[in-house]
Amino acid sequence: MTTSALTRMISRSLLAPTLIVALAILVKGYASVGDGFSAGVVAALGILLQMLAFGRDQVTADLPIHRAPLVAMTGLFIGFAVLAVPVLTGGAPLEHWPPPDEKPIYLGTVELITAVVFDIGVFLLVLGSCVKVIDALAGAAAEDDA
Amino acid sequence: MLIALPILILFPVAIALALMDGRRKPAGIIAIAALAFATAALGVLMAKVAIDGPQEVVAGGWSPDVGIRLRVDALGAIFALTTAAVLLASMAQAVAAGCASRTTPTLTVFMALGLTGLFLTGDVFSFYVFFELAMISAYGLTAGEGLAGGRFRAGFIFAVVNLIGSFLFLIAIGALYRATGTLEMIEVARRAAEINPNTAILLAVTFFVAFGVKLGLFPFHAWLPSVYLGVQPHIAAMFAGALANIGAYGLLRFGGVILPRELELGATAIIVLGGVSIVYGAIQAISRRETREVLAYSAIGHAGYVLVALGLGGPVGLTAAVVFSVANALNKTLLFLTSELRGKFMATAFLIGALSVAGVPPSAGFFGKASLFEAGIDAESIAALVLLFVGGALTFVYLFQIYQHDRWRPRAEGEYDRDNLITAGRPAQRTVGVIVALVVLVLGLWPQPLLAVADQAAAQIEQEAPR
Repeated sequence: MTTSALTRMISRSLLAPTLIVALAILVKGYASVGDGFSAGVVAALGILLQMLAFGRDQVTADLPIHRAPLVAMTGLFIGFAVLAVPVLTGGAPLEHWPPPDEKPIYLGTVELITAVVFDIGVFLLVLGSCVKVIDALAGAAAEDDA
Repeated sequence: MLIALPILILFPVAIALALMDGRRKPAGIIAIAALAFATAALGVLMAKVAIDGPQEVVAGGWSPDVGIRLRVDALGAIFALTTAAVLLASMAQAVAAGCASRTTPTLTVFMALGLTGLFLTGDVFSFYVFFELAMISAYGLTAGEGLAGGRFRAGFIFAVVNLIGSFLFLIAIGALYRATGTLEMIEVARRAAEINPNTAILLAVTFFVAFGVKLGLFPFHAWLPSVYLGVQPHIAAMFAGALANIGAYGLLRFGGVILPRELELGATAIIVLGGVSIVYGAIQAISRRETREVLAYSAIGHAGYVLVALGLGGPVGLTAAVVFSVANALNKTLLFLTSELRGKFMATAFLIGALSVAGVPPSAGFFGKASLFEAGIDAESIAALVLLFVGGALTFVYLFQIYQHDRWRPRAEGEYDRDNLITAGRPAQRTVGVIVALVVLVLGLWPQPLLAVADQAAAQIEQEAPR
C-alpha cells in the first residue's frame, strides 16, 4: 500500500457521495443537463478512485466488481426491452410511453417515462463496461508489478 | 413488425451470449439457433418484399418525416438474407470445430445484428451505427479467433485500416447531412440531385473510398490478405462472405441510389479501377502457393467485378452487380469453409466452389459471370468484355494451380501448413460444407428467384434514384 491514511480515508468517504451525484445526474436529465451516460461515467470514476487508493485486491474483496459484465449486459437488455416491448404490444419499435397529450406518472419531480427507463439502461451499461475496463487495466498493471 | 423481427431475435441472444462461455457447446448451439431463426425470418421478409414491394416501419411511431425509418427493399433483403445464411454456415462450422475464444458466439451474433440492421435501415446515420457494430465485432473476432502466428498483427492491421475507412465514411455522412439537411435515404437521394456538383463529386469520392476499403478494392486492399490469412478459415469465411457485403451494398446504395449522377460521371474511372483490381488480384493469386492465400487475393479480384458491373450501370449492370455479389459471397464462403478439410466429400465441395468461382454451370457462379457478360454486351463495351474474359481466364489459372501446388503435390512434413489447420474435419464440419455446396449447386440449377429479386432490386434503384 503506497497511499497515505489520509488519502484512503477521503477516498472511502467520497464513494457514497459520488454514487449519489451519479444518481442525481441520472434523474435530473431531460429538463436540465444530465443523462445516463455521464452518470455511468461518474459512478465508474468513484470505483476508479477506490482502486487507486486501496489497490485492486482490497476493492475486489469489498465490492462486487466481478459482477460488472452482468451489470453491463442488464443495462443493454433494458435498452433492448425499450425497443422490443412496444412491438410486442402492437406498436412501433421504441415507441414512447406515455403517448402524446397524456400525463406521465410523477415520482416527486421525476417523470416516469420511456426515456428514463432507457437512460437507466445506458447508465448500467456504461457503469458496467467502465468498471470492467478499469478492473482489466488494474489487473494488467498488477501483473506487470509482480 | 416482420422487418423488426430479425433484430428482435438477434439482439437479446447476443446479450445473453455475452455472459456465457462461448467455448462450451450450449452457447454455440444457441447462437446457431438464433442465426437460423433470423435467416428464416429474413427469407420470409424477402418473399414479402418480392411480392408486396418495399416494407417499412418508423421507429417510435413517429411520422415518417421525423422518425428513424427501418426500410427494406429487394436490394437490402437479398443482401441481408445472403449475409445471415453465410454467418449461419460459418458459425455452425466454428462450433463444430470448437470455438477458440469465449466471445466467438456473442461477437458473431452481434455482427449478424449489425449487418442485418444496416441492410434493413432507411436512415443514413443508423446505417453507420449498425456498420460500426458489425465492424467492432469483426475486430473482436480477429483477436479471439486469430491463428497463433499472425493474430495480433492481423487484428491490428484490420482495426487500424478499417477505422480509417469508418472515419472517412462518418465524415462523408456529416458532409452529406450538411449538404442536404436530412439523413433519411430517400429524401437524401431527392435532395442530392440539387446540391452543388463539386460538393457532390467530393462526397461521392469519399463514400467510394470508405466502401472500397471495406470491400478490399485495389488500391485499398493492403489489409485484406494478412487478415484473411491470420484467422481461422471459418472466420475468414465470415469476413469474405458476410462482412465484405457491406462494401458491395454500400456502393450500390450510396452510388446507385443516392449519388447516381456522380456514379455515371465517374463510370470510366470506376471501370478502370475495377479492371486493375481484377488483374492485380488474379496475378497476385497466381503467384501464391497456399490455398487460403490464393483465395484472399482472389477476393480482391472479385471486388473488382462488382465495381465493373457498377460502372457499366443501367438496369442490367446493377442486376449483374447484385447477382455477382450474392454468388461471390456464397462461393467464397464455400471455399474458405472447405479449404483446409480433406476427404471425399470435402474435396468435392471444394471442387464445386472452385468451378463456381470459375463460372462453370450449373453453379451460382455461372450466373454471376453470365450476368456480368450480359451487362458488358448491353453497354456495348468491348473493353469491359475483354476485361471480363481476361479476368475469367486468369481465374481458371489460379484456381487449378491450387490443385497443382497445394492439393495434388506430396508435401514434406509441415510444409505449407504452418498453422496446422489441415484435418479430415469432424462430421458436423463436413455436413456444413456439403450443405453450402448444395446451396451453390441449387442456385445454379434454379436461379430464377435470385435473378428475379436482383432484377427487382435494380428496378427499384433506378426508380428511387433522382434523374
